[in-house]
Amino acid sequence: MATPKVDPEVWRTPDTDVLWQDIDLELRLEAVKTRIHPRDIRAMLPVIRVLALRDFKAKFKQSLLGPVWIFLQPLALLAAFIVGFHAVATINTSGVPYIVFVLVALGAWTYFQASLSMGAVSVVTNAQLMQRTACPRLAFPIASLIANLPSLGVPLVAGVTAAAVTGELSLRVLLLPLGLLWLIAVTAGVVMMTSALNVRYRDLLAILPLVLQVGVFFSPIGYQTSDLPSVARALIGLNPLAGVMETWRWMILPIHPPAAGLIATSLAVTVAFVLAGWFIFTRSEPTMADVV
Amino acid sequence: MTALSDIDTVGVAPLLAWRDRPIIEANHLTKVYRLGEHQSLRATLTVLAGGHREYQTLRALDDVSFSIARGECFGIVGTNGSGKSTLLQVISQITLPTAGHVVVRGRVLPLLAVGTGFHPELTGRENVVLFGTVLGFPRRAILGRMDEIVAFAEIGSHIDTPLKRYSSGMQARLSFAVAMMFPAAISIFDEVLAVTDDEFTSRCLQSIESIISGGRTAIFVSHDAGLVRRLCDRVMWMESGQARLVGPTAEVMDAYHAAHA
Repeated sequence: MATPKVDPEVWRTPDTDVLWQDIDLELRLEAVKTRIHPRDIRAMLPVIRVLALRDFKAKFKQSLLGPVWIFLQPLALLAAFIVGFHAVATINTSGVPYIVFVLVALGAWTYFQASLSMGAVSVVTNAQLMQRTACPRLAFPIASLIANLPSLGVPLVAGVTAAAVTGELSLRVLLLPLGLLWLIAVTAGVVMMTSALNVRYRDLLAILPLVLQVGVFFSPIGYQTSDLPSVARALIGLNPLAGVMETWRWMILPIHPPAAGLIATSLAVTVAFVLAGWFIFTRSEPTMADVV
Repeated sequence: MTALSDIDTVGVAPLLAWRDRPIIEANHLTKVYRLGEHQSLRATLTVLAGGHREYQTLRALDDVSFSIARGECFGIVGTNGSGKSTLLQVISQITLPTAGHVVVRGRVLPLLAVGTGFHPELTGRENVVLFGTVLGFPRRAILGRMDEIVAFAEIGSHIDTPLKRYSSGMQARLSFAVAMMFPAAISIFDEVLAVTDDEFTSRCLQSIESIISGGRTAIFVSHDAGLVRRLCDRVMWMESGQARLVGPTAEVMDAYHAAHA
């Protein structure tokens, strides 16, 4: 037999680390219900990173103020709460200055809003990439979760700093990473769900602004749920952000813990969102390029 | 070549077994698309009223079987809508077949359209990293080849200009340069040499030829019969989603021309 033909990539020294993987590679492509598993996310990380960077950069290109908007948006919202809630009504803040009280929960909302606005359309806006390359589709919504982390960090750091400066910071702040994880889980579930549904049903584009406009009032940013009438208090837990915000506030400030019922409801809804988001996304992923 | 002795240390026998099998094997590939508007108020009301919705379907691929050997340049010809692009999308893992299967033994680099995946607001350099990563290449390898890519595309200092200021020819050059600089076992070219000038096109053809002579595999789709005859070892003629004829280039192209004369 003649000398075996060697793929040039095998001896292409600079990237042999990569190309050896090609040896024995054998993919069988056929009709399947779903083709992603949670463990595949690891392999998507380089693509997620580059997409998140792209989304973050592109968001502020050809803009006068650029990333300054990450500071201005929560600031405007904060001003709205001070005028809209505090100036007209007495809000029980458990003795915490109102500005600190709002700032502590604000980041949860600005992050959710920014990630959802970008994430819900993420698959559709990447249609071209999706129809021309095998770019992992799950990387699109996940990249939105990463690209909008500054919208979480800026108000949260401001809130924690304000709490420390005013002497209201609780030692429970050490638990905050768990609170962040909760917020990201809620957002991930909703973003996976909406980005996949939006491929098939563009009605999402009509619903989304509505949900975001109304949702800000159904979230305990400028008030606490303990001051709500009992029926409303029972229902507000269905908004998982209510559980997130009250938990954050308890972790950062020296106040009473939120009602167990609220936390349990919000946690249950969070789990349901994550599972539903994963199920809907992974089931519709194989045909996204055909339907979009 | 020292490379061969390197391979010996890993054991040649299992590699040869894998290497000697066809790099692509398609078995009864079928892809059915649904036609018309998928969702509309009218359709929703019809369904709510208890009515039945009829979908028209299209068999974009209809029981297609063929195989490609490692190191071959395989051409695909056919009129618009004959299923060429759908087939390439299935091989590139962009979409799944409705029935049948295809086995792919190697990394696929699909160049299905020029400027794909480029973001208008990012610079050429940022886009090269984006496109290379999406194609599955590590960041280090992409950055290490940036100079080569810029040189191949001949876009010089424009590499740091936002892509929206590029002409379509410059975008094509850049995406072709990225594709040419990365070694994949299978490179797919779908009608991508249509917008570049003669000088660049001929350099691209040389690159494609060197890919093939280097032992890699290429799938080449073009309406330019001259190019297909020049580059391809074997050709598949597709018609209405079916493989009408697969064989040596001259034979298939003669039959194709006789049918379209």
